[in-house]
Order: sequence, then structure tokens, then C-alpha cells
Amino acid sequence: MIDDQRESPVGKRVSLFVTCMVDMLYPETGWAVVDILEYLGVQVDFPMRQTCCGQPGYNAGHRPEARRVAIQFLRAFKDAEVIVVPSGSCGTMIRHEYPSLFADNSRWRSEAERIGSITWEFTELIVDGLGIKDLQLRLPYPHSFAFHDACHGLRVLGLSLEGRTLLGNVENVSIETLAEADVCCGFGGLFSVKMADVSGAMLDRKIKNINSCPAQIILCGDVSCMTHMNGGLSRQNSAKRVRHIAEVLAEGLPKESNQ
Amino acid sequence: MATGRDMILNKLRVARQPYPDIEPLQEYLPVVPSIDISAEGLVNRFVEQAKKLGGIVHRVASEVEAINEIFDLLRDDNCVLSWSFEHISLPSLSATFEVRNIKVADPRDPAIRVGITGADGALAATGSLVLVAGEGKYRATSLLPPVHIAVLRSSQILPDLESWVALQRERGLDDFREISTVVLISGPSRTADIAMQMIMGMHGPAELHIVLIEG
Amino acid sequence: MNVTSNDFIPMAQIALMDDEMRVSVNQATTTAYNKRLNVMFEAGIEHGEALRQQAAHAKRRALSQLPELLEQAEANFKANGAEVLWAVTGDEVNQLVMDIVRRHEVRSVVKSKSMVSEEIGLNHILEANGIEVVETDLGEYIVQLDHDTPSHIVTPVIHKSKAEIRDLFIRELDMPPTDDTSEMAQFARRVLREKFLHADMGITGGNFIIAETGTVCIVTNEGNGRMVTSLPRVHVAIVGIEKIVETFEDYATLTQVLPRSATGQTITVYTHMYNGPRKTSESDGPEYMYVIFVDNGRSDIYASKYAEALTCIRCGACMNACPVYRTTGGHAYGWVYPGPIGAVITPLLNGLGNAKPLPHASSLCGSCKQVCPVDIDLPRMLLDLRSDLYQEGKTEAHWILGLKLWAIGNQSPLLFEIGGRLARYITGDHPPKNLPGPLSGWSKYRDFPRFAKKSFRQQWRERRGK
Repeated sequence: MIDDQRESPVGKRVSLFVTCMVDMLYPETGWAVVDILEYLGVQVDFPMRQTCCGQPGYNAGHRPEARRVAIQFLRAFKDAEVIVVPSGSCGTMIRHEYPSLFADNSRWRSEAERIGSITWEFTELIVDGLGIKDLQLRLPYPHSFAFHDACHGLRVLGLSLEGRTLLGNVENVSIETLAEADVCCGFGGLFSVKMADVSGAMLDRKIKNINSCPAQIILCGDVSCMTHMNGGLSRQNSAKRVRHIAEVLAEGLPKESNQ
Repeated sequence: MATGRDMILNKLRVARQPYPDIEPLQEYLPVVPSIDISAEGLVNRFVEQAKKLGGIVHRVASEVEAINEIFDLLRDDNCVLSWSFEHISLPSLSATFEVRNIKVADPRDPAIRVGITGADGALAATGSLVLVAGEGKYRATSLLPPVHIAVLRSSQILPDLESWVALQRERGLDDFREISTVVLISGPSRTADIAMQMIMGMHGPAELHIVLIEG
Repeated sequence: MNVTSNDFIPMAQIALMDDEMRVSVNQATTTAYNKRLNVMFEAGIEHGEALRQQAAHAKRRALSQLPELLEQAEANFKANGAEVLWAVTGDEVNQLVMDIVRRHEVRSVVKSKSMVSEEIGLNHILEANGIEVVETDLGEYIVQLDHDTPSHIVTPVIHKSKAEIRDLFIRELDMPPTDDTSEMAQFARRVLREKFLHADMGITGGNFIIAETGTVCIVTNEGNGRMVTSLPRVHVAIVGIEKIVETFEDYATLTQVLPRSATGQTITVYTHMYNGPRKTSESDGPEYMYVIFVDNGRSDIYASKYAEALTCIRCGACMNACPVYRTTGGHAYGWVYPGPIGAVITPLLNGLGNAKPLPHASSLCGSCKQVCPVDIDLPRMLLDLRSDLYQEGKTEAHWILGLKLWAIGNQSPLLFEIGGRLARYITGDHPPKNLPGPLSGWSKYRDFPRFAKKSFRQQWRERRGK
């Protein structure tokens, strides 16, 4: 985490921003986040009018379009006290890019700042926000994992210890090192299609590193990067896969906690 | 008609000033912190760094020893490039050259193997020699020959570049401005341009010998 | 140098097929990246970060005072006996250099590295006028011999293998065949030594100009910088106006941070300061010294929201850290400056229309900002340039349409849900085989997951009733 003086989320109601990709492609990741937070006694709600944070349009340079989508986000979360998002890149968009996006817009600027100040990435919320390092979990059988540090989470939000701390305290877990774990996988949003060949080459390097890593599963905090890496791993017939850390942690919950 | 100078300056002045609130720094963090600045500490650091960069340091306790080191390095050469003797911290060097029949060639002779200079200072932090150009302190001496021998007294060693700059400021920058050029020499010349393989000895000297007179 | 940056995508495709080059580039960049990491933080992370801030402060302060500092530098150079000339455009620089050439009856020139001179094509002008020009930095010399262009601003030929260089020397210099790097370098040294000894004029760039003393400062490892400024009669320093720093102390910080950031050296072998030509009492050194302050688009950047880009000290750390640069090498970027800084200043110096793909040639991973010794927010500038491309109508129609549809679909929760259900319905249990239209590049290298039977919100509604 970066040292940024946010208000403590302890005791507050947490609104889940599930992200467009989790909503449509990986709902189990969304449930994993809910289950873990509720297991910790956190009250979780889901503002139904949420869609997307606007990042794809913003990163592509289409700011007017991104702004309209971001306004919908601000509207959807207007009653939120704390927002949790299982994505470092969406977290970056909301916390760091919304100020640029709304710099000239007095109507939404202060709301964007408020929303930015109450938004937490999933592992960040638990470890840095709630101060919980050990979830007292146990995986059903031994597993080895390694981390891929998704770029925005790592370099903008300062995340790298949080996920490792949480996972490290789970029983039946061993953690390996992924070579070049902090090197970009090549996703970069629309970069993956606009510069498909370069993206594919960067992915290739990441896959080589994944294949030669002793861990069975690679963990990541961003489903967008995860989709890109898994897309390549399956295309290249690799046995390895990348999973979202929330899902793996949720597998360690006591049986009654899972929905 | 507006000159290029006018056009450039006008354009810069008319523009909204970048970083308008930024003040000059009052205190500078040294790039290499926490050096032992005792006399012994400075010598040790200088020697360690100079060696790291591929220089060879000949530590001697007297002038006589220093001159012996130099003549060992000269081997069979009877001609060298050299700064004027008054700029080399070895008063008897000139006489010894005469005795041993060593000639000092034209300062720009490119065929000479060894060049001998003094030094105008040294920086412990980075193992660097400071060479100021001036009358009798030829540039080519430390540049053309494949072997450069620099005579340095341990009392000349400063902690770092920051201290040397502070010294220039103390003396008044006008003195510094009077100099045509200064070079900091940190090791023999090198290149890694061919497949990132480091090799020593490119255009400048391939060997740097520092005869360090201590005490 | 001609800008071919609009061809980034095909040039990258070509680069991706050159396995040998990719291995060379990857090795060089990761080595330099790791060396930098070790040296910048050898006194601890806090100290290293503080140095970056100090370096950033020095460059930003200089930028804020730029016009005054340029005048101060000029006055000091004049007092030192050096002549100062100002050039608005690249053509003007070339003319000024030719004026100096004629004035001093120069027939041959030796050059140490100057990226500015590559911007303006100086060598071509000199050669066209019958002047011999020899690059003396070994990497640049190799580039010149091979009629190639540099692919990195600090180590220009990381794209070439040793074997390629060996063959080049055999072909162009009649070098006896050898695979020994030292022998190859010594051979080049002998060839270039002759050039140094007989050249009439030496041209350098400048890493820094100290305003308060009137000093051109250069850093080199090979000694060629000293050669070109000590042996010929005339020294011409061609320096971008943004190279000015205010104080001697600023310079002391920067001249040590630069090599740490660039190659992981604590200091370069030669750190040179030039105030003026030789004094009358000296018997070597140039009799004449000229400093040419070059604008060539910099004042436009100064006046824009991208002024920060002018604080760059040309260390190359960003391209060493950049996963895109590591993958494609520097030639794909199509101009003098590759990598992240190149992606920003190429459009700024040449017009966005001449470098449209470059702001998009990045996954925005942020490594560049993380390593930049003067803390330039390169990712932010890339994002701003992408926005500029859109605002200036330089974006392809299919993206404009596509993202408008995306916005419509995401502004309304209802449309969002309908769209999701539609995608699920169309693809069924099967992952989409080929993504449509401009997204088809995805499917070239990746499978796509299947859409969930029920979206998260559908499930929430069912289980939690809201």
C-alpha cells in the first residue's frame, strides 16, 4: 500500500465493485470476495447499478466516453461508505485517474475525490485497511503457488506484500518465486489488440516463466491480466493456470462459509 | 529582424512557467553518503574505489619510493610525455630524468607509451582524479599514451565531488571560470559497446597507475 | 533523421522475427536494469529515492528558470572566450555548423555522441558538403560504418551481436578475422586514432550546461570525448536548451546520478567540464570553442502541458526497464529516441501526426516512471497523448465507433446487463473462437473464456434478493 492517509474502513459497510469482467466471466471470483469479507464479519452490499469504472475508454484516450461511464460509476456508488474492488487496475483508475478525468468538471470532481478516497483493492482492504494478516484459513490439501504482480496494483497502488502475507498464513500453502514476477504480462487493455503482436511476444515470455516455475498455480490480483495469461496458457496447451487470489483464499474457508 | 536568440527567449518567456513555485535547493544530499572523512578513511576509500575501476594504486611513503615506482613502470622507455615538472608533486623527478636520460617528448607526440601527470585533487567516494588544464598541464599527457601515471599526494584526496565543488565555490567561481577544462578521471578507459562485453582500454589510456604518496 | 514512427506496428512485426536481435537486446537491457538497481540503492532504498527527488528538483528548477539561465550561461561562456550561437530549427544548426566549418577551413570532423545531431541529420549535411565526419563513440562508429541508426540512446548497438560487428569490421575495415572482443576494439581504436590526430574540428553534445559557470559537461567512458575536444583546433558543442542546470551543486548530483541510472556505474571514466577554448598559456586544446543552443521544438514542449518531458537527462533507464522496448528493440520506434521517452518526445518534437502509434506502444506498466532518475511521469504523458490523438481526430474510425458503443453499453445498467446476456446467449457454452473486428488480434495469441451462465449480478439478485 502507499502511505496516503485514508480513513479506516473498520466497522463500515463495504460495497463491492465486482468489475465488468468478473461480473460476466468470473462470478465465482466475486463470490469469493463476498465470502471472505463476510467471514471476517464485514457487511457487504452490491450496488446493482454498477457497470464499469471506465478504464478501457480512458486508457484508449477516449476521455468523453470514459467520463460518461465513470459518472455512472459515481452514481452507482453514491451511498457507499467503503468500496472494495478485486482489481488493481480498476482500483488505480478510480483512485488515481478519476481526478484527471474530472479535473475540469466541478459537478463531479468532489464526488470523484470522495469515491477515490474510500476505494480499496481487495487484499489491501483486508491487510492494510482492516489490519488482518492471518485469515486463519486452511486449504483442503497442499498446494504451491507463485505470484504475478500485476502492474497497476504493484506500481501505482504499492501492493505486493498484501497478497503474499494473506496467502503465506494459509495452512497447506507453499509459495514459490515466479521469475520476472514484476514484469508486465503484455495485457495493457486495448494494447493487447492494438499492438497484438508485441503483446503476444510479451505474453510468450511470461508463459515461459510460468511454465518453468515450480508452482502449480500462479496468483494474480487482476482478472484482466489473468484472462490474457490464461488465454495464452490454454492456447499453448500448458497445464498451468493463473487464478485470482480471492478464489484460492476462499477455498480455505471453513465449509459453512461458502455460498 | 528577430534573431534565433530573440525568438527562443521570447517563446520561453511568453509560455506559462513550468514549476513556478520551485525554490533552489538549500541542502544537497551527497550522492555517496557516510564516507569516513578521516585522513586514513579517505585514503582507504580512494584506493578501494580506484582499484575497483581497474586502476592500479602504488602506495608509497616517500618521494624516493615514488620515483622508483615510476621508473619500474617505464621499463625500457627512454621517452615519455609529461606535465611540466612544477606541476608534479615530486621535486626531484626532473633531476632524476636527467640522470637516467629520460627525455620528455613534445606534448602531442602520439607515439609515446607513457604519460606522467600530477593531479589537482582526488575524490575518495568515486576513486577519481581531478586534472585541471593549464600551462604545462597538457591534456594529451593523460590521454594519448596507453599508460597514464598520475602522481598524487594523500593530502589532496577530498571526500567526493560535492566537496570539490564546494571548494571551487569557496575560492570564488571566477577562479573556476578561468580554467579552460577540468576532467575527472575514474579508471582506465573502457567500452562495452560490443555485445555488452566490458573491455579495458578504448580511446583513452588502457592502464592507469596512481602513485600515491602518503604521509 | 527521418521519422518513420507511423510504421511502428509493421516495424515491430519485423523486429519480432529477428530472434538474434531480441536476445541481444533483452540481455543488454536486463543487465543494465539490474546494475542500476544495485548501484542506485547501494546506500539503501530511502537514500536512492531521495537522490531521484534531488535530481528531479534540480532539473525542474532549471526548467522554471530556463530563459534566465540560458542568458546567464551565454554571458559566462562569452566571458570564458567561447562563442554562443542560438538555433531555432535543425536546419539552422546545420547552417551554423557549416559557417564554422568554412570560417576555419575545416576538412574533417570527429564527433563524440550527440543525440541532437542525429535529430537534425548533421552528418548528412557535412558529408554532402565534402566534409569527412567520423563518429568516435565505438557504438556510434559501428552504426555509421553500417549505415544503420542507433537503437538505444546510451548503448547504440545493443541490437547487434558480436558476430555481426566482427563481420562489419572485416568487410568495411579489412580487419583480420577475430572473435576476440578486445582485439576488435583495439582495431577500431587504431583506425579512429588516426582520425583524432588529423581532424580539424571536434563536435560534441552536452549532457549538462552549468549556467552559473558557463560550462559544457560531458560524460564518457571511452575517452573519445576528450580526444575530440583536445586535439582538433575547433570545438563545437551542440546542446539542447533543456540541458541547462542552475548550479554547480545541481551538476554534482546529476553527473553522478546519470551513470548510476544508465549503466550502473558510480561515475563514468571521464567526467569533463569545458568552460572555453584553450588559454594562451596552454599548448593543447581547441583554439576556438562554440556552443550552439538548440531549440528544434523544445520551446513548444516547454509551453505545453508536457514540459516535464524536458527534464529528461537521457540516461536510458526507461528503455532498459520497458517490457515493450525489451521485446522489440529500438528501431521499431522509428526515430532517434526509442522506448518510453521516445514514445513521448517523438510526437512532441515531430507532430503527433507523424508518430500516431507511439503513445499506444505501451501497456502502461509504469516501470519507466519507477526507474526514471528525475521522476518523469511518462505513463501520464502517454495517456495524455492518447487523449490528444483522439481530440485531434487522429484515431481510427473503428475505435471511435467501438468505444462509443462501449460507453453506451456501460452508461446504462440495463444495457450492460442485456449486452452481457446477449454475449452469453450467442456464445453459449463455448468460448468465443474469434473476437470480432478490431478485437481479432486477441485471438491470434489467446483463447477467450466462456461467458458465465449467470452473471454475478444475476446470482446476487437470486441469492440476496436485491
